[in-house]
Amino acid sequence: MSWCKNVKGVLLDITGVLFESGASEPIKGSIEAIKRLKDSKIPVRFCTNETTKTRQKLLQKLHSIGFSMKEDDVFPPIPACCQILKSRGLRPHLVVNPDALSDFCEINQENPNCVVLGDATDNFSYQNLNKAFQLLMSLETPVLFALGGGKYYKEGSDLILDVGPFAKALEYACDVEAEIVGKPSKSFFGAVLQDLGQPAESVVMIGDDIVNDVGGAQSCGMRGVQVRTGKYRPSDENHPTVKADGYVDNLAHAIDLILQS
Amino acid sequence: MSANKIKTVLIDLSGTIHVDDEEISGSKESLTRLRSQNVNIKFITNTTKESKQSARHVIEKRNVRPFMMVDDRALEDFKGIQTDNPNAVLIGLAPDKFNYKTMNTAFRLIQDGCPLIAIHKARYYKKTDELALGPGPFVTALEYATDTTAHTVGKPQASFFLSSVEEFNCRPEECVMIGDDVRDDINGAQKTGMLGILVKTGKYRIGDEDKINSKPFKVVDDFQQAVEVIENELM
Repeated sequence: MSWCKNVKGVLLDITGVLFESGASEPIKGSIEAIKRLKDSKIPVRFCTNETTKTRQKLLQKLHSIGFSMKEDDVFPPIPACCQILKSRGLRPHLVVNPDALSDFCEINQENPNCVVLGDATDNFSYQNLNKAFQLLMSLETPVLFALGGGKYYKEGSDLILDVGPFAKALEYACDVEAEIVGKPSKSFFGAVLQDLGQPAESVVMIGDDIVNDVGGAQSCGMRGVQVRTGKYRPSDENHPTVKADGYVDNLAHAIDLILQS
Repeated sequence: MSANKIKTVLIDLSGTIHVDDEEISGSKESLTRLRSQNVNIKFITNTTKESKQSARHVIEKRNVRPFMMVDDRALEDFKGIQTDNPNAVLIGLAPDKFNYKTMNTAFRLIQDGCPLIAIHKARYYKKTDELALGPGPFVTALEYATDTTAHTVGKPQASFFLSSVEEFNCRPEECVMIGDDVRDDINGAQKTGMLGILVKTGKYRIGDEDKINSKPFKVVDDFQQAVEVIENELM
């Protein structure tokens, strides 16, 4: 297996890799695996499209489960999006989860001139999407941000829709192309790689999403490995467009292989 | 483009003849004039029984029990269709049904292999003083999430246009479609060989005519002008 050789940095997806969505226990062996990785001095960053809660709450959850990463090592889309909004002078109309709203508190939202779509779950109502649609149609240059491009994820025993399909809905309605902030966007992965301080070809991304984690990492020059946990489905191993560099049973399995070689 | 003599006029309703409960000025009168001419007239729209009957036909032919994302007022058109233990998804314009919960139910059914049947795929429609999302964006969301393509029944499907003129026994080249939706009305009709006249009422927005590859036969201010074009150039 060549994907696990000469690994100088690791990016980890969070939900579906460290814990199952909705669960309060870690996926077996994942806490120890990250410790082993840190002991070996291979730098790790956490790269998530989680937008149903603030970064602070996500971190609290991880810590309560038993993980010990620092806030600076966790990269969710909202802080990256806020930076873009500020630098481009954009005022968002937000269609996001109420639990994530406070991460936008420093952003001017009056008289909005763009739409930011996060994993809004129950807030993906006709009324809310319609409002976003009407705003986009009223703008001379409509700007739509999607916080991640995921199609679905697993919660409990069910698959549920992620932000991607709702972004597609607005794209279709308004003839716009959403700018993705989060995985699989190259600029998002690029910022994390820069923080990691390792060249893409020495870095492995481990995730449960064949398109956004694995495919996204590969198109940035990294190796992409899929875990058979989270939203993984056996058909992912015959995906029509993405072939992972490796498939592993879970995170612990991946880290074992990296550390053995 | 040299125009043929027209035998059949297809007319969209919402946004072309009326918006909500209000007539688009001059439409009634023009329609009366058109009726006195020697042409067949048919209303072809996604909001009337026609497209729902086509959808019903598809459901019966495929012998499926759909999960209904259809407006309660349209349910009458699907009376007698089995819906328990669903093994298909049917979508029409149903703002009350487009929420996270029903979208997830539909998503899981399709993900498990159930077919997605769309009564139509309109992007949006015109209400009295605003535009509102149609079913198209929600169909697109489900198509994208599940890597499938919906079986679309109504406009802009070629079969929908062609079957609506079957009774008149004329060729597509002898038909003209008048509508406010450049893709679903005009492009859809023109792809079958019909002529398309785009009206600048209803959902029309500046520049719409440039969104399709083969330009509309004519772009006019309203239905009244469309009828004038037909009388002056196509008869």
